[in-house]
Amino acid sequence: MATDDATGDEAFRASVRAFLKEHAPGRPPRGAAERLAFAKAWAATKFDHGFAGPSWPREHGGMDLPFPRQVIYNEEMARVRVPAHPGTGWDMVGPTVIKYGTPEQQAAYLRPTLRADIVWAQGFSEPDAGSDLPGLRTTARRDGDHYVVTGQKVWNTNADKADMLFVLVRTGTRESRQKGISYLLVDARAPGVTVRPIRDMTGREHFCEIFFDEVRVPVADRVGEENEGWRIARTTLGHERSAGALTQAAFYRRIVDELIALARERGAVADPGVRRRLADFDVRVRVMNVHAARTIASIIATGEPGPTSSVSRLYNSVFEQELHEFAVDLLGPFGLLGRGDPDTVQRGRWTTGWLATRASTIGAGTAEIHRNTIAEQVLGLPRDPAMPPR
Amino acid sequence: MEIAFTPEQEELRAVLRGFLAEHADRRRLLDSGSPHDAELWRRMATGIAVQGLAVPEEYGGSGFGAAEMCVVFEELGGALAAGALLATAGLAVPALLACGDEEIKAEHLPGIADGSTIATLALVEADGSWDAEAARTTAKEGADGFAIDGTKYFVLDGAAADLILVTADTGAGTALFAVSGTAPGLTRRAHEAVDPTREMARLDFASVPARLVSRDPAVTGTALDHARIALAAEQAGGARWCLDAAVGYAKTRHQFDRPIGEFQAIKHRCADMMVAVEAARSAAYAAALTPHPDPAGLAVAAASAQICCSRAYTEVAAGAVQIHGGIGFTWEHDVHLYYKRAKTDEVLFGTPDWHRDRLARLSGITEEGTDGH
Repeated sequence: MATDDATGDEAFRASVRAFLKEHAPGRPPRGAAERLAFAKAWAATKFDHGFAGPSWPREHGGMDLPFPRQVIYNEEMARVRVPAHPGTGWDMVGPTVIKYGTPEQQAAYLRPTLRADIVWAQGFSEPDAGSDLPGLRTTARRDGDHYVVTGQKVWNTNADKADMLFVLVRTGTRESRQKGISYLLVDARAPGVTVRPIRDMTGREHFCEIFFDEVRVPVADRVGEENEGWRIARTTLGHERSAGALTQAAFYRRIVDELIALARERGAVADPGVRRRLADFDVRVRVMNVHAARTIASIIATGEPGPTSSVSRLYNSVFEQELHEFAVDLLGPFGLLGRGDPDTVQRGRWTTGWLATRASTIGAGTAEIHRNTIAEQVLGLPRDPAMPPR
Repeated sequence: MEIAFTPEQEELRAVLRGFLAEHADRRRLLDSGSPHDAELWRRMATGIAVQGLAVPEEYGGSGFGAAEMCVVFEELGGALAAGALLATAGLAVPALLACGDEEIKAEHLPGIADGSTIATLALVEADGSWDAEAARTTAKEGADGFAIDGTKYFVLDGAAADLILVTADTGAGTALFAVSGTAPGLTRRAHEAVDPTREMARLDFASVPARLVSRDPAVTGTALDHARIALAAEQAGGARWCLDAAVGYAKTRHQFDRPIGEFQAIKHRCADMMVAVEAARSAAYAAALTPHPDPAGLAVAAASAQICCSRAYTEVAAGAVQIHGGIGFTWEHDVHLYYKRAKTDEVLFGTPDWHRDRLARLSGITEEGTDGH
């Protein structure tokens, strides 16, 4: 049995490799619009050849792979450095629609999402509802077979590139908190939607704010029941992301190797402080790889991702920050040069990374929220009465 | 990379955990004034044959591998029990297995497997160096064989050991020798160590008769790396105990009319401790569960595991003392034993910076010779 699996796994790996050999698109072009088109074209190629959505059901255009083959799929994709799926949160909204969507929603959105004919962005956080997401105030007032949505969202990564938004809105009373939230799918180009990029501390425009001014959204585009949006948004949606954990570890491995090469090139490793810090980062990236392997082994053996998956996010985000802080220190005064300076080192990647990774412990739940989650959900420490239930 | 224990290995863990819960008694050990629990050692041999796990079947053991030893050392580390197993099974057995001398293996391994022999390896001298090839202790060859002169420090279970493997300079390089614990000319003095659960001794050799085990310094180096991997599992187990103790205390200790574990200051420290514990487990498991076909791979695994697990254990043990507050500072509570063990383990087979320098050389951060080695 195990032998059959192993033979099948290797045959599957070979089929992914053959597909990539024939179709992988090579180096990405310059320019944001060109890159988006490039990523969309790659998603369409994968979909059209049956190599999209490793975890998705076949009826929705996916491959419906068992978990070990999802891991193989991710390994092979990472090996050739193909573009990521365009937009953000498609891997959150997709599984949500698969699980909770109506047949009409599934027919309308799932295949186009997988093919990247529809690019998504998330609309959850608000200016006054960050970590305290249940305090969100964007309202959806019922008007016949439509909702009328008014309010503001913020920190919406790549919303300026999105065709559709998945948005949490208040359908209950102001005080209803998580009991009065609904989950809507909103056309990003509907009248009354305004998307404005926000310049972040790196100087780039990566995320956006979204204004909704009396935007009409069909009730048919609500996922799940009215006021059930919090539960739906918080439901754990399978382990698709864990299948890519080894890929992420491999990505960090490459960054550390590049930093080691830079330190050697600059003659910095003769300094005991430098080589010892590098040795520490080397160990931490090894540990990440083992965390990923343990998570995957645990899912295969028990169906649950186990303790390593809960600590990995915190471990990796702190690692990223410290690595880049160290890289800037290593560069000395050259660490102060921006990416446009002709004398900057490696096009300013370490300086930009040093700034960009400040967001690692803020976005997608702050590190403090993650610590609360580990303490309460994993270690079983008593819940803070002020915090909403999950 | 596959990092998972088999159901049989998990069963071994459960058996061992039950055994240690019943028979290991840290307080009795502390009150006895000696870190060596002879009664527990005997029970381990007769009851579950732990000493023979890593000894091949032809020498009376059960021939298991690094994965089983990882489980054993993790559980022993969690219970702070049976310190002599690290010296015997973690250090001496790999040295004997690597020495290539059938006669020596046949002479010593069966006694280790049945629990009648405690064995150790004596390396460190007055300079505190972990360099396996720079012994100043001498071995002079005479008509009756070799005679050892010199002093070794921090010899793990050196006062209780029946068999002492000792490094000494023959004039043609550092070699490894076997000395009986009762050999004439050998003076043993147990160190008064800060960590009362780990026995270490100073051994003075005055023309002590010795038998050559191997002239290949790689034998000692390999044994040390195996011991570092075993130690990493102990450290992961100890760190896990500290986290569990801290979390357990935070759930029951009330201040301001609520459990202190409700406060984020406590929660966040516990979460960070768990991050460290899982890192330690990952590092220790990877070192034990992945095959190391060559000495360099083994060395990278050993150094990586030591760097990660030493930091994790000292951090988590300090966190456990802090979360326990006043009671954590008392002799009565066990947490200080783990805090001390964590510090001992951090330097036991090389300090963290020594391991970092070594890993830097092994993983290509620095080149051979550029850091003074």
